[in-house]
Amino acid sequence: MEAPDSSTNQLVDHLFRNEAGKLVATLTRIFGTIHIDLAEDIVQDTLITALHHWSNGNIPENPAAWITQVAKRKVLNELKRTKSSKNHLANVLKHVEGSNHIEEVFLSEEIKDSQLRMIFTCCHPQLPVASQMALTLKTLCGFGISEISKALLTRETTINKRLYRAKQKIRALEISFEVPSGKDLEKRLNSVCLALYLLFNEGYNSSHRRAVISKDLCLEAIRLTQLLVQYFQDQPKLSALLALMCLHAARFEARTDHLGAIIIFEDQDRSLWNKELISNGMHYLTKASVGKQLTEYHLEAGIAAEHCLSKSFADTDWNSIYHQYEKLYQLKQNPIVLLNLAIIKSQTESIESSLRALEKISGNQQLKDYYLLPMTRGILSLKSGHHTKARDFFQEALKLTRSPQEIAFIKSKLKLCGDPINPGGAFSNRSE
Amino acid sequence: MKEFLMILKGNGLATLSPEEMQKLLQQYKQWVADLGDQYVTGQRLENHGALLENKDSIVTDGPFLEPKEIIAGYFLIRAEDQAEANNIALSSPYLGLYTIEVRPLVQPLMH
Repeated sequence: MEAPDSSTNQLVDHLFRNEAGKLVATLTRIFGTIHIDLAEDIVQDTLITALHHWSNGNIPENPAAWITQVAKRKVLNELKRTKSSKNHLANVLKHVEGSNHIEEVFLSEEIKDSQLRMIFTCCHPQLPVASQMALTLKTLCGFGISEISKALLTRETTINKRLYRAKQKIRALEISFEVPSGKDLEKRLNSVCLALYLLFNEGYNSSHRRAVISKDLCLEAIRLTQLLVQYFQDQPKLSALLALMCLHAARFEARTDHLGAIIIFEDQDRSLWNKELISNGMHYLTKASVGKQLTEYHLEAGIAAEHCLSKSFADTDWNSIYHQYEKLYQLKQNPIVLLNLAIIKSQTESIESSLRALEKISGNQQLKDYYLLPMTRGILSLKSGHHTKARDFFQEALKLTRSPQEIAFIKSKLKLCGDPINPGGAFSNRSE
Repeated sequence: MKEFLMILKGNGLATLSPEEMQKLLQQYKQWVADLGDQYVTGQRLENHGALLENKDSIVTDGPFLEPKEIIAGYFLIRAEDQAEANNIALSSPYLGLYTIEVRPLVQPLMH
């Protein structure tokens, strides 16, 4: 008999995806990293089984536990089947001692542990960073190929190739399924941090922002970083990374527009910022403020914190932000940091000095195709009343993007250039 | 009302992402609910089995066919005529993942 309240039993959001991520890690622990494919196949088969059983309307009381149970049974069947054969897998599985061991790895703490091992496997420094991201999404986040391709804005065939080569390399290098320790840890952890940082940025800065998948990408990066923070209590760098993710994600909903640059803060509705994420972010930032190592994650989290804690755009402590960007540039010679430094000068000094600074970096090779550079120069020129110059900059920006949202944004600015009565336009300071 | 068998062929589920599978489950339940009395039954078939061609040979444990020809499952539905049955197949969330053959059952003789 079905319980009377079973009709209220809804499938939680992303249940299949979440369970797939956990199970692939758990099964890889059983079969070894060289058999990630087998782990993925069994998980796929498990989900198909669930799909068919539940199609008849009998969704179990605890769907996640049901899926785990079926996966476990399929693993045991697989073990029985391979034991008699003489292939490599049979050799690998000799250490697997019957169902007791299997029961253990399915305990919730052990599932977390398997996921940690999987993070270090996927983000192994010997794998190209692009492959690290694809592999992480596939095995840890339960993304399908088409979802990864949308999330990373890369063609499906390319993603398939990357995954294939990455798994080949894992086999060739015989990367062990372990959380590294000792001397190895520092290097491996740096690689993991960078991959998760890039994963987050990919979701946060994607110009295809309307796709829900961008947000999922950010949330997944946060989830995995959280796992790491829980495990490595003495790694302030991890807390700093998590802080920066929370503080950026807090503003996710408020960015109704598609631009990620500082300029857009000016027009954001701060009441839409997620207060819980801000307070989480501040918690981790405090946790990160120990020890002697100041990382780029600390500084970026610090800058994000300044923005999150300012009551309004006008109240922002631009001097502090400028100072932190300067330090950041010492750690990371990134032209985007230079761009931000130049933009902030419009707050700390004057629009003219900001425009001069922007002109100085306009020759930078790495910024040559970056539409936000001419865009920013256009907006600032417009503010200072130089409409003809502004128009030229906007025209230049228009050539550098193909995103429809960005084109619409530039065109809305271009309209303002021909109208000297309205010099401030949409970017005049609304917050009083 | 006549009965129609919808035969699903292919291995479309193998490439679905977990998220897509979960969506499919919800769409399917909605589809069955919308059909109401017109839905009779449906079942998935295992991928393995036996193929018998004559008395001398039994081939077991497939797959014996091209993936796109493998029968994955079936639905039994009720419809007024072939056109309505086709429309029901068209509205199925499984179309696209599988090819669907829609065949009327021979009506039993009335006594």
